[in-house]
Amino acid sequence: MNTTGIAVRGLTKRFGAVTAVRDLTFDVPAGAVTGFLGPNGAGKSTTLRMVLGLVRPTSGEALVGGRRFADLPQPRRTVGAVLEATGFHPGRRGRDHLRVVARSAGLPARRVEEVLERVGLTDAAHRRVRGYSLGMRQRLGLAAALLGDPQVLVLDEPGNGLDPAGTAWLRALLRGLAAEGRTVVYSSHILSEVAKTVDHLVVVNAGRLGYAGPLTGLTGLTSATESLEAAFLRLTEHV
Amino acid sequence: MRTELLKLSTVRTPWVLLAAAQLVIVLGAVGPFLRGGTVDPAAVRSGAGHLGLTALFALVLGILAVAGEHRHRTVTDTYLGQPRRGRVLAAKLGVHLLAGVGFGVVGAVTALATTAVAVTVTDLSADWSDAVLWRTVGGGILWNVMFAVMGVALGALVGNLTAAVTGALAWLALVEGVLGMVLGEDAARWLPFSAGAALGNLPAGAGGLSQASAAGVLAGYALVLTAAAVAVTGRRDIT
Repeated sequence: MNTTGIAVRGLTKRFGAVTAVRDLTFDVPAGAVTGFLGPNGAGKSTTLRMVLGLVRPTSGEALVGGRRFADLPQPRRTVGAVLEATGFHPGRRGRDHLRVVARSAGLPARRVEEVLERVGLTDAAHRRVRGYSLGMRQRLGLAAALLGDPQVLVLDEPGNGLDPAGTAWLRALLRGLAAEGRTVVYSSHILSEVAKTVDHLVVVNAGRLGYAGPLTGLTGLTSATESLEAAFLRLTEHV
Repeated sequence: MRTELLKLSTVRTPWVLLAAAQLVIVLGAVGPFLRGGTVDPAAVRSGAGHLGLTALFALVLGILAVAGEHRHRTVTDTYLGQPRRGRVLAAKLGVHLLAGVGFGVVGAVTALATTAVAVTVTDLSADWSDAVLWRTVGGGILWNVMFAVMGVALGALVGNLTAAVTGALAWLALVEGVLGMVLGEDAARWLPFSAGAALGNLPAGAGGLSQASAAGVLAGYALVLTAAAVAVTGRRDIT
């Protein structure tokens, strides 16, 4: 099924006097990796959280496969998300964290071992999360996102804290997921890595849309690192 | 519900709190015997009455269940799996109602067993047919249940773990006493801790409400807090 993209329509969010996101409209296509870029404070996380139903939009809406997140019958089987590397109870074991998530989504317990294997955490699964490195927490978050075998993956800076081998592993994972026809959107500040990973780009700045379209549409025919960085800085210099 | 049970059973907090509660109960129940002299039914009752006091631990556990999820950011994962937040809150209320029963019953067994041992060791006697003793035990269990539920509602209402726990304990240890002096005795007995003390037949509750009215008052607090918690939970942005 190749139709479960993300559609953001006129999305706006105000926190008191601060407008974090202004009238954003863009699409995230299925079967591709989409990079979600913007300077710190541009509204990336707020936008992703509105897509996931965690933050209530002031106006506008975000649809996943044509539905609001809260209306998805089985959210974990449709959307997998990694939002921050700290969303774990420090005293809970890695495997238990995944068991809680699997139980809450009505997923079979064998999926826990499968995703542990896929992210390479099987050997550390019996340890409490307190003792995990940042990279291990990222992997645990990814494992939780993959539990429901979802069509859509929303990842907020999943590459933070990964070592070079982990970075290459993550790139291959994301490319592989998109090649299976899934929708993958992830935010990052590491443009050289983004240039190697994504097909599609959404750039926001000060809550407004800067660019949405194919990577090659922004960087020209040569998708070298330098040109993405130059294009990004050009798009985001005016606030 | 099953997810919430698994969450509780995969961290150590409930067991630490339960153990701490038992320590308080044992010391409280042994106390009257250590002082020597004659042990009258009132002393046995006041020993057993400490079981009600451990409602404080059930309260803290309830607060931790919700505010702790905000503190550790696990609430993100919880809502990603179940975007209908009312159901999450209902499950937590249900589980902690049971946990409150558990704290109460375990505490009752500890209190009575401790008293029985103390009776044997000291050659003093305890009147096991004392109806007030059994009403004290029953009231103490119910107090645990009420405070467990109120803890969940309070945690959901406040969200900030530190504020909720310190606020609740400061209320019980300090604020309610001060407020009681301002309001006068007639009004003060309707406040939560006074009502709890009356329900659990604590000496501090003497002259307060009857056990039945105290139970009603606490149920009222639990309902109001829960209603407020439901309203706040649906609107809260998880950032």
